[in-house]
Amino acid sequence: MPSKETILTKIRANRPNLWPLPDVPIFETLATDKKKLFIQILERGGSKVHCIDDSTQIHQVITTHFPEDKRMVTALPFLEGIEGISTLHPDFYEGTEVAIIEGLIGVAENGALWVTEKELGNVRVLPFIAQHLVMVISEKNIVGTMHEAYKILGLPTTAGFGVFIAGPSKTADIEQSLVIGAQGARSLLVILTP
Amino acid sequence: MMPHAQKAAIFNKDEARTDWHDASLWMVRKKRDFAVSEIPEWEFLREFASDIKMHTLSKLDDYLEAFEKAAIQNGAIVHWAADAKEHNDIVLSILNKHQAKKMVKSKSMLTEECHLNEFLELHEIEVIDSDLGERIIQMLNEPPSHIVLPAIHLKKEEIGELFHRELHTEKGATDPQYLTEAARHHLREKFHTAQVALTGVNFGIAETGEVVVCTNEGNADMGVHLTPVQIHSMGIEKLIPRRSDLAVFTRLLARSATGQPVTVFTSHHRNPKPAGEMHIILVDNGRTEQLGKPDFRSSLKCIRCGACMNTCPIYRRSGGHSYETTIPGPIGSILTPGIDLKKHGQLPFASTLCGSCTDVCPVKIDIHTQLYKWRQIVSEAGLPEAGNKTMMSIMGNGLASPSFFHRLGNIGRKLLRLFPGKERFLSFTVWTKDRDLPKAPVESFREWYAKQAKDAQ
Repeated sequence: MPSKETILTKIRANRPNLWPLPDVPIFETLATDKKKLFIQILERGGSKVHCIDDSTQIHQVITTHFPEDKRMVTALPFLEGIEGISTLHPDFYEGTEVAIIEGLIGVAENGALWVTEKELGNVRVLPFIAQHLVMVISEKNIVGTMHEAYKILGLPTTAGFGVFIAGPSKTADIEQSLVIGAQGARSLLVILTP
Repeated sequence: MMPHAQKAAIFNKDEARTDWHDASLWMVRKKRDFAVSEIPEWEFLREFASDIKMHTLSKLDDYLEAFEKAAIQNGAIVHWAADAKEHNDIVLSILNKHQAKKMVKSKSMLTEECHLNEFLELHEIEVIDSDLGERIIQMLNEPPSHIVLPAIHLKKEEIGELFHRELHTEKGATDPQYLTEAARHHLREKFHTAQVALTGVNFGIAETGEVVVCTNEGNADMGVHLTPVQIHSMGIEKLIPRRSDLAVFTRLLARSATGQPVTVFTSHHRNPKPAGEMHIILVDNGRTEQLGKPDFRSSLKCIRCGACMNTCPIYRRSGGHSYETTIPGPIGSILTPGIDLKKHGQLPFASTLCGSCTDVCPVKIDIHTQLYKWRQIVSEAGLPEAGNKTMMSIMGNGLASPSFFHRLGNIGRKLLRLFPGKERFLSFTVWTKDRDLPKAPVESFREWYAKQAKDAQ
């Protein structure tokens, strides 16, 4: 008997009686100011947050944060003067110093930002391989909790990969000492637009 | 196999180190408490998580088939493995199909359970564990001592020494930042040259066929997205029915594990990258057996957060290696006796039954109750680990007979007065090895009470 049948047969013989599946309510955050909480949690997790009034200021914020001539790549369609990810050869992904992408949903309770491969220009490795990551998100897209986030996300339709990113990559594997910049991005800058 | 108590005694010989280990894990437990305090609906979330998992277990066959169907529709290749051997053979066959000789792996307790690394190395495959803690213990040829913090038992000086030898860092360098940076460079090279990446799975979603992987370092994603072939090894109990159920579990997992509000990366893998291949291996390896044990099946709700280890006074002061199981600590002590009672039957006794594990468990597994139930089974099986039988029968008789108890108390108090401090005459029991007995009272409560009654007359 192939293993699939063996496993399913054993489950049918051994499973408990039907246990009801609960309906989980959409718990909301008690915080009155979701934007404030979002920023606070992001900063607690080692990210930087910069609020701007107008998306034309994105470029300036980025050059202020990265004054040296760094190799930048963007998956945003409207950033002029920065190389677009679609024209970059895969051999050069590793040399990316700064990657600039858009976050679709921000979650106040944990500072996580949702992106799919579409926002990554179909380069799934982009937010991990870049030395530094910049995520642009409108404050209108901040929700309170993960329940609200998944309610908006619904079921995936086209994207084959999606990820919540909640800060720079980190580890505490050596004596529980927090080190920012493990295998992925060394820093996360979140730019909040109106 | 050396019993847990003996291994723990060896661990305890270095008192300063034991204290350090204890304090490190207690710090993680305190971080968890703080994170939990920020979520007013925490207890509801635990209840929902428990019910969702129990529901899934009660329809696991249906959900596995639904998951397989959705995953195949997404373009993934789904394999079924009845045991560790079959799992390892499947991984090897995928590697062989692509003539791959190098595989990067992110943290997966399942592949530890299957001893995948040793198996692949026998077949001349280079396996690189890419989580920093896992890489450290792999270089030392040691198993993880904790499921979330695999190298928690090591001092930075030891890691510095290891990295000096293996990665040519400066001699004597112990700064975690510096050592992590060295590992980063070392591992980046591996991500680019491996042909296959394997990850564990935190959650499999039946309705979408997605696998969800939660990490902090970004290593799992580096591997999966840079190599043409991705493999996800998943225990069959990792399923949840709906995508929205992730809200409950992502809120619970990291807060319980490390006190973070969520892991840095929560990656949802649905289909292979263009021109890539995505394999999902569904592994049983004893899980369906456990499902058939009504008293113990709820242990399959476990989401591997490690909170029960961080809070356990025995684990903190004996170290993960003393358990000699892939999953140590309280949860390991209820998962493993079912696999091999003779080998692991002693583990349910490595507990004070204080119940702290049950209190912190995010999916409400009644761990300490199951520890107690395993003790009954071990005792009935007549295994020698079933506690100190002589002592237990003396205690049993003594507590059952008031006059005998009274006499025993009298003798005990006299002996305590004659030999105060460390009671050498009790050296036949390990209880007094590290404990001082209290000062003996002059009289028992009964004697005192009798006197009071007399005086009152």
